[in-house]
Amino acid sequence: MDMEKRRSGLFIGLWTGFVVLMIYLPIACGALAGLSRGRYFGFPVKEYSGEWWQRTIDSFEIATIVQNSLLIAGIVTVISVVIAFFGALAFARYEWKGRKLYQKLLLLPIFFPQPVLGLALLLWFNSLGLAPSWQTAAVAHLVWIVPVVTLVIAIQVYSFDPVLEDAASDLGASRLFILREITLPILWPGIWSGALFAFLLSWGNFPLSLYTAGADSTVPKWLYSKMVAGYTPMVPALGTMSTLAAATVLLLGGLAMMLIRRRAAE
Amino acid sequence: MGLALVKEQSDVAKPSGAQPLPVLQLVGVRKTFGDFAAVERIDLDIVEGEFLTIVGPSGSGKTTLLRMLAGMEAPSEGNITLRGELINDVPANKRPTCLVFQSLALFPHKTVGENIEFPLKVKNIAPAKRKERALELLRMLRLPESYYGKNVMKCSGGEKQRVALARAFAYDPDVLFFDEPLSALDYKLKKVLEKELKDLHKETGKTFIYITHSLEEAMVMSDRIGVMRAGRLVQVGTPEEIYSRPADRFVSEFVGEVNVIEAVKSSAGEWVAAEGGAPIKLKLPSALTDATKVAVVVRPEFLRFVDKPGAADNAMNGTIYNEYSLGSRIQYQVRVGDKTLLVELSRGNGWKGTLDTPVLVGWDATDAIVVAA
Repeated sequence: MDMEKRRSGLFIGLWTGFVVLMIYLPIACGALAGLSRGRYFGFPVKEYSGEWWQRTIDSFEIATIVQNSLLIAGIVTVISVVIAFFGALAFARYEWKGRKLYQKLLLLPIFFPQPVLGLALLLWFNSLGLAPSWQTAAVAHLVWIVPVVTLVIAIQVYSFDPVLEDAASDLGASRLFILREITLPILWPGIWSGALFAFLLSWGNFPLSLYTAGADSTVPKWLYSKMVAGYTPMVPALGTMSTLAAATVLLLGGLAMMLIRRRAAE
Repeated sequence: MGLALVKEQSDVAKPSGAQPLPVLQLVGVRKTFGDFAAVERIDLDIVEGEFLTIVGPSGSGKTTLLRMLAGMEAPSEGNITLRGELINDVPANKRPTCLVFQSLALFPHKTVGENIEFPLKVKNIAPAKRKERALELLRMLRLPESYYGKNVMKCSGGEKQRVALARAFAYDPDVLFFDEPLSALDYKLKKVLEKELKDLHKETGKTFIYITHSLEEAMVMSDRIGVMRAGRLVQVGTPEEIYSRPADRFVSEFVGEVNVIEAVKSSAGEWVAAEGGAPIKLKLPSALTDATKVAVVVRPEFLRFVDKPGAADNAMNGTIYNEYSLGSRIQYQVRVGDKTLLVELSRGNGWKGTLDTPVLVGWDATDAIVVAA
């Protein structure tokens, strides 16, 4: 019995290790490629160096595209969380005529292939006479990201008991007071996850930016163009930095959640 | 277990002589949802300081009635006045009333203290004052002061009840509503809290309006009980009146297990049992309508076994089918023709014979209640 247990434990451990290796090995290879002294992507790495990292950090071009990506992701996060919060309330909290239709319409853009959505948006911007730039890219990101964030927040709203609002109102509270004291604090975890999703989805989005950012470049767009033509180890270096930055954002988000929860538990 | 204080049934509810102004008054109140009338034309005066319980099975409209009183629904017709002022369309947050919800609706992200202080925070009262009042309420509800900073979701069921009550009292309402807040608790705790609630009612002198589907709960606590069925208020009266003088068959059956014997008037003007084998002439209490068909309600404790037909006003032949022990009492199931009667005796006076023996079940006319069939 004990033997059997130990053996199954061993197999589970082996399998888990294998899966983790399969997922992270390519990423690790990419990271190592950025630390190679040579100009070309190859294995094993013959000589290590921080040169390409340094060059990446010093590059004016990369500073601009990182700035573009950050700006787009920041704006998309703020706008999408605001829209999605009220959208999620309409989605999951209130009974209204047309709610079912709204729930279905909201899901459609998520299933629409992004390259086609990007092209359609580009045509639309053109016919409106808007020159594609990072601003139009932000709008394009919103079209796809707002529904996703709405769903993320809606999950939290579904677990919210509307009776709490009734009770607060019965105790004399105004609608604004209820929003501030009851609804928002209880929905905070959902709003946080929504914001994280919005930022990361925008930061990593390639197909929509490719079509709608025009002459402005974003991190994924630059990576792609350099892979197609003019490879430099700055590509894996920037890729690694981007991954690390995203991981940091996730960690910070997780930490903030933990703090909120601990404060609530006190 | 502590001492079970048996309280005398107070007769607060019967306003006599100088009629006090009702705190809440309902005139022809009706609520419809589409074609469905959840509440049908209710007239009711609620006296200042009384403990009124509205009882009814689920779907009888009692919760809708309560939501209208609390300001969460507006009546479709009729008027609700609070101390003479029309409040039909006054929203819940503008009424001096407070509802203790079935789910209690405690704010899960707030501590016990923050929950209790919520209505005070709404009123913009200084934090120090709020805390003082919260601690006072904790003491009043017999919760330790150390609970002030406790996570409200970590409290037990009974403690949550008390926090919800403390929060309601912090609002200092004129009228408190209760929507079956005890229904989720186990029997023993429920009994304790029922008595505590009645004590709190006496202590605070506020008007309590309680909704439940359990008449047992209503009997323990209320000054007056209103029985609802299908959106209508069938009867309003003291627990004593509801028990001993039910308005109709529905109320009598709602109060507990009863024997219902249908009777018809014969051509000779005598009442005859309509069922249960051979027709039996019945002697019934006098105050009868000119109906030709009635239902005679006799509680199991008013039936007894008799030796000969003359020993009771009415006697029916039957066989004992089974017996059930109810603790201090024993209940017998007696088959009379195709009908089943319940006879309840105290343990000392129990039937000494065996099952399946023929018996004579007797009851007196004065113990019977005659209602419309």
